Amino acid sequence: MPVLIAAGIGIVFAVGIYQILRRNLIRSAIGLVILSNAANLFLVACGSRWGLFAPYSGSPAQTSDPLPQALVLTAIVIAMGGFAFVLAVVHVVALRGRTGDSDDIDRLKN
Amino acid sequence: MVGNPRTALRSSGSPQGFPSAVFGFAFALPPAAAFLALLALAPRVLDEGALVRSIPWIPSLGLAFSIRLDGLSALFALLVSGIGALIMIYAGSYAKRDPGAWRLFLYLQIFFVSMIGLVVAGNLFLLFIFWEGTSVASYLLIGYAAKNEKARSAAFKSLLVTGGGGIALLAAFLLIESATGSADLAEILASGNRLRESSLYIPILILAALAAFTKSAQFPFHIWLPDGMTAPTPASAYLHSATMVKAGIYLLARLNPVLGLTESWFWVLTATGTLTMLFGAYLGLSQRDLKRLLAYSTISQLGVLTMLIGQDTAIAFKAVVIAVLAHSLYKSALFMTAGIVDHETGTRDLDRLGGLRRAMPGTAAAAVLGGLSMAGLPPMFGFLAKETLISTATHPTLPPFINLILAGTIVAAGALILAQAGVLVLGTFAGPRREGLEARDPPAPMLVAALVPAAASLLFALVPLPGIASLLAAAAGAAFGSPVKVSLALWSGVGIPLALSVVAVSLGLVLLRFESRVRNAQKQLEVGRIIDRLYDGLLAGVDALSRRAVRLQHGRLRLYLSVMFLAVVILFVLFGRPVPPRLAPASVPLDLWAALRVFALAIVVASSAATIVLRRDLHAILALGASGLNVAVLFLLEPAPDVALAMIVVDILTVVILVLALTKLPAAIRARADALDFRESKRQKILDAILASGVGAAAALVAWTALATRPRPSEVSQFYAERSKALAGARDIVGAIVIDFRGFDTLIEIAVFSLAGIGAFSLLCRGALKRDARAADRGSRSPLLRSFAFVILPLCMVLAAVFVMYGHDRPGDGFVGGVIVALAVVFWYAVFGAERSRRTLRWVRPLPLAVSGLALALVQASISYFVNGSFYTPVDFGRRLGLPLPDGFALSTSFLMEVAIFLAVLGGASLVIDSTGHPDDSESCESSGEGR
Repeated sequence: MPVLIAAGIGIVFAVGIYQILRRNLIRSAIGLVILSNAANLFLVACGSRWGLFAPYSGSPAQTSDPLPQALVLTAIVIAMGGFAFVLAVVHVVALRGRTGDSDDIDRLKN
Repeated sequence: MVGNPRTALRSSGSPQGFPSAVFGFAFALPPAAAFLALLALAPRVLDEGALVRSIPWIPSLGLAFSIRLDGLSALFALLVSGIGALIMIYAGSYAKRDPGAWRLFLYLQIFFVSMIGLVVAGNLFLLFIFWEGTSVASYLLIGYAAKNEKARSAAFKSLLVTGGGGIALLAAFLLIESATGSADLAEILASGNRLRESSLYIPILILAALAAFTKSAQFPFHIWLPDGMTAPTPASAYLHSATMVKAGIYLLARLNPVLGLTESWFWVLTATGTLTMLFGAYLGLSQRDLKRLLAYSTISQLGVLTMLIGQDTAIAFKAVVIAVLAHSLYKSALFMTAGIVDHETGTRDLDRLGGLRRAMPGTAAAAVLGGLSMAGLPPMFGFLAKETLISTATHPTLPPFINLILAGTIVAAGALILAQAGVLVLGTFAGPRREGLEARDPPAPMLVAALVPAAASLLFALVPLPGIASLLAAAAGAAFGSPVKVSLALWSGVGIPLALSVVAVSLGLVLLRFESRVRNAQKQLEVGRIIDRLYDGLLAGVDALSRRAVRLQHGRLRLYLSVMFLAVVILFVLFGRPVPPRLAPASVPLDLWAALRVFALAIVVASSAATIVLRRDLHAILALGASGLNVAVLFLLEPAPDVALAMIVVDILTVVILVLALTKLPAAIRARADALDFRESKRQKILDAILASGVGAAAALVAWTALATRPRPSEVSQFYAERSKALAGARDIVGAIVIDFRGFDTLIEIAVFSLAGIGAFSLLCRGALKRDARAADRGSRSPLLRSFAFVILPLCMVLAAVFVMYGHDRPGDGFVGGVIVALAVVFWYAVFGAERSRRTLRWVRPLPLAVSGLALALVQASISYFVNGSFYTPVDFGRRLGLPLPDGFALSTSFLMEVAIFLAVLGGASLVIDSTGHPDDSESCESSGEGR
């Protein structure tokens, strides 16, 4: 099971990085989301105790680790904020520079 | 001739002028007050040795705002404040026609404060801060005539040289602190041989010497000082006589008791000082600009002082303190007269000056007194300085060989300086009057300011004031480390020193007689600009290098990222160590849940990969949404219900704003970007894929190691799990961690979220090009969707209310609630169009919502602070007041925090939606931001 999950996380990671490296800026933005998904998956999986109960006080027996979950909860929100801002930048690049190509961004300096 | 700041001052003049004389007197008050206060304190300093006042500043770093006034500090501080007061008054008349002169006074005041702070600082790092202050002040003053290119480059040169010295000083101080264990000056001075015996001694010595040499313009760092003559003359006078260049001398004298008395100290200081003394004296004679000539004589004098400190004998320190006082007095007088001449005649070129003695008798008197003192002739204080200096060279404590060299160089330098003083005074005031040279004595304040130090040069020598002798003795003693006797008798009997002095004077007179021929000979042998050329070459080299470095910046995002990812892979291959797994596979039950998990993971992987394969951006976005939702499913299976809920709403919001952004992009751009995916070369794609697989493999390995070595007992999680009910009143441990235990993180988190919204808003609404606004604002005509919209908004609000209220008891929290309501609002936008939705939903005011959310978070934290004495320690009002509340809901500060998160997130999310949804009509954007 850990091998499967680790492999899955690795593949999602790779997909995110491949997408970030695209010239199409929308694809780069998509890659960013995928990458943060992979990171969050990894974190939560680290807290897994293969238990069947959510971390609530008073839960019987084994629960999953609450700490990584709290971390990921914060990470999700921050990633969302960062993503919204990146998207706004992409948008401005598109409107001002009339381009959706990351190789053209350099041109905007002038 | 160098750039003339006076003409720059005049050229920017306005008809009204500037009440600078008043300013001069006003700004003279602080230094004058300091001078008087120091005079009043002086007797106590002499009695007690050192006065210390210390205020703790950052105790954990050993930083204290401590002030230490001993003999050495008092001597320098008196000079800084006394001459400072005169300079301010002088500047008042000097800058009369300059409307921007407030800058001059401000900079001079900074200069004064930094310098006085430097000499009384009792802590190394405090001293360093003031040290840098003087560098900055002199940079500002040298570059005062900022429109003059020469002034700018001179200012830059001074900052580069002295700033570099500042870095060396900081390093030296850090090493001293680590060697002695203290940054306190008193403790360091009491540390005896600790520094000398430390293994860090040589680095400390070199760094401290570098700092002092750059500041005090020692060869080869002297280059900034002559160029610094672009500063207004009052500033030059101050810089040369009491501040800036004296700082290096002060530093050496200050540290001498703990760093000095070694062979290396002697050689470094004496060699540099002697070289500088000769170099400055030699070059000074060839100058025709009054201020440059004075600048080179300052360099020479600074060399003398450095050399003397290196010798480390009682008599050398006696010579140091006398020379410091003598030099400050005559140099300030001479600079001020040079400024007067420049001010009145419009030139300070010796080739155009001459015969001014009748026209400006007062100025001539000051110049003659100053010049005599500079030449070291009786009955001036400078004579005393020179006599003491010569007697150090003939002192029996030094080996005879060195004695001979020192005596020779001192005599040579003395002769050169005397000739310079003669050229300066005679060339300006004696001889026939030049054609068209109009001049008269300046306004009284200016003249008096120049006359006071000149007269003091005479007075201090003629009238042996006991106070001065004992102050000088205290200063010399503090620098030497043991008591030094100082007597100020002009006549010390016939001996070798007097004979040498006579030789020096005669040589100097000969030089003066044949001054023009000497100068011509000097022109044949040009050595003056060698170091400057070196400096220019160095700067040009740095420029060329930086141009090369900039060429590396190709500006392509993808390539930068590729380099970073490649670095990750390489580092991983090089340093990644496989950790032997401590696998517990038996504890993973292979049941339905595990099968579900594998299934969800497969969907995540597949849909993520689909975003690559799908050709249209819209389809890729939908695949992304599917992948995110299945990540949420995985979270739910964990089980992590809070995270799963947040993931679901975030995923939907992501898809929504991506689609919004996509649809608002001009179709042409979109088509072109779409086409890009197929224009990229196969090779490029393969390379990227290899790189991505590398990073992915690294991530997989890390994940596998992490998972295979779990579970580990976690103290932190244990702590939270045991206390969440008791301390936070929460059944939901994750919620308790987010809202209570790590409340401060959450505050920052929602601040970031709101800021991201505000950032997106300001980028798109203020930055976007105006386009056809109406086209985007259609909305849907479907009646089904419309009625659905009416239902869904209240439903979402009820749901959000439940999430907010029971955040501590069940899955869901304020964040989820905020995003859900924002999603309902965006649904309205889609159905009714932005314009109508805004008119109907008047309560959606993004900015006020976000701000009130953040404010509420702070308020609730403050409430806990006032009730419990600690931020984010929850207060349960409901239980305190005994309110009958439903089970699982607590009216507490934690609830307020949930509300705050809800508000901030709703505000931030609506800002994002507003701006990505309607980037094209900036007016409505603005109005929505301000809440209509």
